[in-house]
Amino acid sequence: MWIYVKLAFRNMLRNKRRSFIAGTAIGIGLASLIFVDAVMIGMDRNMIESATSTFLGDGQIQRKGFRRTLQSDLTVQELPWIVENLQKEDIVKHFTNRAMSYATISSPANFSSIELIGVDPDTEKYVSEIDEAVSEGDYFQGNNARDIVIGTKLAEILEVGLGSRVVVTVAQAGTGVLSQELFRISGIFKFGITEMDRGMVFVRLHKAQEMLGIGDDVHSVTLVLSDPSFGLDGDLFLWEKYSRFDNEAIGWTVILPQVEAAFAMSRFSAYLVGLILFGIVALGIINTLFMSLYERMFEFGVLRAVGTRPFGIAQMIVYEAGALAVLSIVLGCILGFLVTYIMAHVGFDFTGIEYVGVTFRRLLYPVIRIRQFIEYPLWVFAITTLIGLYPARYAAKLLPSNAMRRTL
Amino acid sequence: MNRHELLFRFGIIGLLAAVLCFIQPAPAQDVEEIVRKIDELYRANSSYARMEMEIVTPHWQRTLLMNIWTEGKEKTFIRILSPPKEKGVATLRLKTEMWNYLPRANKVIKIPPSMMMSSWMGSDFNNDDLVKEFTWQDDYTHRLIRPEDAKPELLYIESRPNEDLPIVWEKIVGAVEKERILPVWSRYYDEDNRLMRIINYSDVKRMGDRLIPSVMEVIPQDKEDQKTILRYLEAAFNVRHKGDIFSLRNLRSRN
Amino acid sequence: MLRQKRRTALTLLTIFGGFTLAAISIGWSDGTYAYIIDMFTRNRLGHIEIHKEDYLDRPSIYKRIQNYREVGGRINEIEGVDSWAPRIFAGGLASLGDKTAAVQLIGMDPELEETTTGFNKNVLKGKPLAAHPSREVLLGKELAQILKAQVGSEIVLLTQAADGSLANDVFELIGIVDTGDETTDRLGLYMNLGAAQELLVTDDEVHEIIITIHDLKHIDVITNAIRSRLNDPQLDVQPWQVFAKSFYDAMRADQQGMWVMLAVIILIVAVGVLNTVLMSVLERRREYGLLKAVGTRPGQIVKLVLAELFLITMGGVLLGAGLSIVVNWFLSIHGISLPTPISYGGADFTHMYAEITPRSLYLPAITVFLSSLLVGLAPALKAAGTEPAEAMRTF
Repeated sequence: MWIYVKLAFRNMLRNKRRSFIAGTAIGIGLASLIFVDAVMIGMDRNMIESATSTFLGDGQIQRKGFRRTLQSDLTVQELPWIVENLQKEDIVKHFTNRAMSYATISSPANFSSIELIGVDPDTEKYVSEIDEAVSEGDYFQGNNARDIVIGTKLAEILEVGLGSRVVVTVAQAGTGVLSQELFRISGIFKFGITEMDRGMVFVRLHKAQEMLGIGDDVHSVTLVLSDPSFGLDGDLFLWEKYSRFDNEAIGWTVILPQVEAAFAMSRFSAYLVGLILFGIVALGIINTLFMSLYERMFEFGVLRAVGTRPFGIAQMIVYEAGALAVLSIVLGCILGFLVTYIMAHVGFDFTGIEYVGVTFRRLLYPVIRIRQFIEYPLWVFAITTLIGLYPARYAAKLLPSNAMRRTL
Repeated sequence: MNRHELLFRFGIIGLLAAVLCFIQPAPAQDVEEIVRKIDELYRANSSYARMEMEIVTPHWQRTLLMNIWTEGKEKTFIRILSPPKEKGVATLRLKTEMWNYLPRANKVIKIPPSMMMSSWMGSDFNNDDLVKEFTWQDDYTHRLIRPEDAKPELLYIESRPNEDLPIVWEKIVGAVEKERILPVWSRYYDEDNRLMRIINYSDVKRMGDRLIPSVMEVIPQDKEDQKTILRYLEAAFNVRHKGDIFSLRNLRSRN
Repeated sequence: MLRQKRRTALTLLTIFGGFTLAAISIGWSDGTYAYIIDMFTRNRLGHIEIHKEDYLDRPSIYKRIQNYREVGGRINEIEGVDSWAPRIFAGGLASLGDKTAAVQLIGMDPELEETTTGFNKNVLKGKPLAAHPSREVLLGKELAQILKAQVGSEIVLLTQAADGSLANDVFELIGIVDTGDETTDRLGLYMNLGAAQELLVTDDEVHEIIITIHDLKHIDVITNAIRSRLNDPQLDVQPWQVFAKSFYDAMRADQQGMWVMLAVIILIVAVGVLNTVLMSVLERRREYGLLKAVGTRPGQIVKLVLAELFLITMGGVLLGAGLSIVVNWFLSIHGISLPTPISYGGADFTHMYAEITPRSLYLPAITVFLSSLLVGLAPALKAAGTEPAEAMRTF
């Protein structure tokens, strides 16, 4: 058997150009599979991120019923236990505490209804993108308790700028007594999302807790998971584990079901296109292999004529296919890795659509995974060798005289 | 709700916008004393008033006629008498709870504290204004000033809110009649020294046990065609209220 | 060409197969993208919206469209428009028992709304609004839970009318709505347009007109057509990309990825064709050598090669176009069923659909032709320059 293997490789090396061309063709096919897989992961990420990374996070732990009414006395129970355990969870990359309430904000010019959000700046910046969205002033530098960060649209409505005085009024949890505090605008953010630029206001967590009279309690623990796709998993153990003590732990999909639905649809759509790509690559393999093998029937005929047994010929051809596969895999993996790696750092952004009003441009970054370099090469190898069976069978059945009847 | 100019700091009764120090020619009373007197002008342990609120906006104009009863800082009852569409509407406030009675629907609805922060009956007043007050005496720092166009019969005082108090104004300048220690106008400024609002006081009358300007005109400076005018038609202070004015039952009655 | 059947067949197959698959993938991705957008905007927001200028930026009860019926009539005349529906909005308080909640009042024309967005399918319990003005309302399902309201409950509504007066009345809850958007369902109180206009003391005016169109590909053309038709600087006409900006951003990221995938497919098809043609030409050097030996001129050889190539390519493209049109057509009608249905709002999505688009035909065609000719050229020239003896000396 080994002699055939050796022959196979030698045959391949003999006609370098032909082998190289064939190997490259199949290799490009493999590279494209790897690359497209990486792109699809990047697409998934992007869509998830557009829903979660601005503010919502991958998941939240809140008191049951809080989401509906934002009633201030519905604070998260057993917070210390939650914090302690979250820190030990491998899949939780970051988390942050928030206090939230409806409130009004007023300036000399106007007043407006808003959502007041007390944040812990040090942990918040890993969970949401407010710090990156600040276009004027800063995001809670220093430790002035009277810092407040509002959106551009709200600043317009209130006719305020950095340093302006504003008063925020909330109703204290439980008692309903109205509590008012003076703040000075320390930062202005622009998300390009109207609801946020107009309706959200950020202050330091302890200040919000003070105004709401909730002590050290919070209304939401917002999480970032180690892999964005975990947030999609409705059965993730995390949700059950932390949905106790009258709290509920939910993924972002519960809050934005419409984005999840759109996302599911476009994922399905992409998978189908991926399948088609498989088909094309398979087609490419078939025709490359056939071309290179059938052309050489004369050669194989000669071999038969000098006594090579049918099975031997068949083996040799199959091994040749295998050898070609190996060559292609090497070429394909290198090419695939190079292209994917480069694009993973550069990112795609060729939509050419105006970004007026948008602070971030979300680029598409392909994501490299080890399994891409194992699964797809294996698949290519399998297909190539399997396809090789056809010409192998043909050659085995060949009558040497037929093969050697060269035609022009 | 509507975006009217903000009359944020005003209780219906303490619709004292700015009242200020008063400095007599004689080096007599100190500023604190004067400010206290002004604080007292609209304040009482209890009160009753019949007043008219005229609201002018770029889109419409309305005049509401209403009766208002108060007791302490925590009880308020308002009944609207006119115009016909609102006639019979009543508002009761007890501590932090508030109810509205709507005669057309014949229902009482409860307004949670968080909604008390939006404007009341569509006016420029927050529901919150039914309670909140700052006192000139405790919460501001004052000094006498002399503007260029000073009138001899008036005193001018500039007041600034004390550190870190939740007041949006950077400074308030007021003019006071020297003789009777009554406010004439006050002007509100933001921190860029823009004049944001003017309140004019006029038509001094004796009401109950005191002399007060019975008409207050609140005019925002940054909006066009907008103002609110309050007129006290009748008022009595430190009166004893009958029975159960501040009750849910009273909401539905015809008083 | 016909002599070397297998070789021809393979080349043909490559071109045909590559073309078809590329065409299907383009038709599919274009179709599903449009489908997803349509599903999510047609349901509630519409494809195009008209407001009084500045309303989108700073909403106010006072910014109303005065002549909406006339506007609607003109919209109907524009080609490509499916339907339109008017809405009026106001913020207020709704109360039941001792529960009070902030609401957004939405007054709509039930018939027009049903034709345009299919609103009635969102009604979970109870029944939809009747066509005539009445004191009946629908509540979003979250709102109903906050108020602990059920079908039959009496809801008190308090708001400020457009003339500054206090507007209040009692309404009967006849149905509960699930639009799939949590915020909407937490605030939404729906009533008949006429009844809302009476409550809010507005004339026959509205805040918003939404429009659905037949084919989302024409969104820009139709938006501009509406603008010029109405010719009113006070009316602001915007497509969904503007008023559903966050959704657009999310979808856009997705489209980017899809384009990359399609580009890769096109590339692979090109490579496949390149490879096949190249190999086929290379393998026939002997043939060309012979031809030259018997006197064929180089120019003729080139022409021969190219002509053959052209025929095969054409054949592959035609076959491919034929098959892909059939497949895309089938997919546009029957679609492919999702492994698990996706529910959104009151609707369940079970299928996704493709489209036959010009792009799905001309893109693969251009690719295939270009690559095969490009690749055919070099070897053709080389073949023409072959030394006959050298060429024939092969094994």
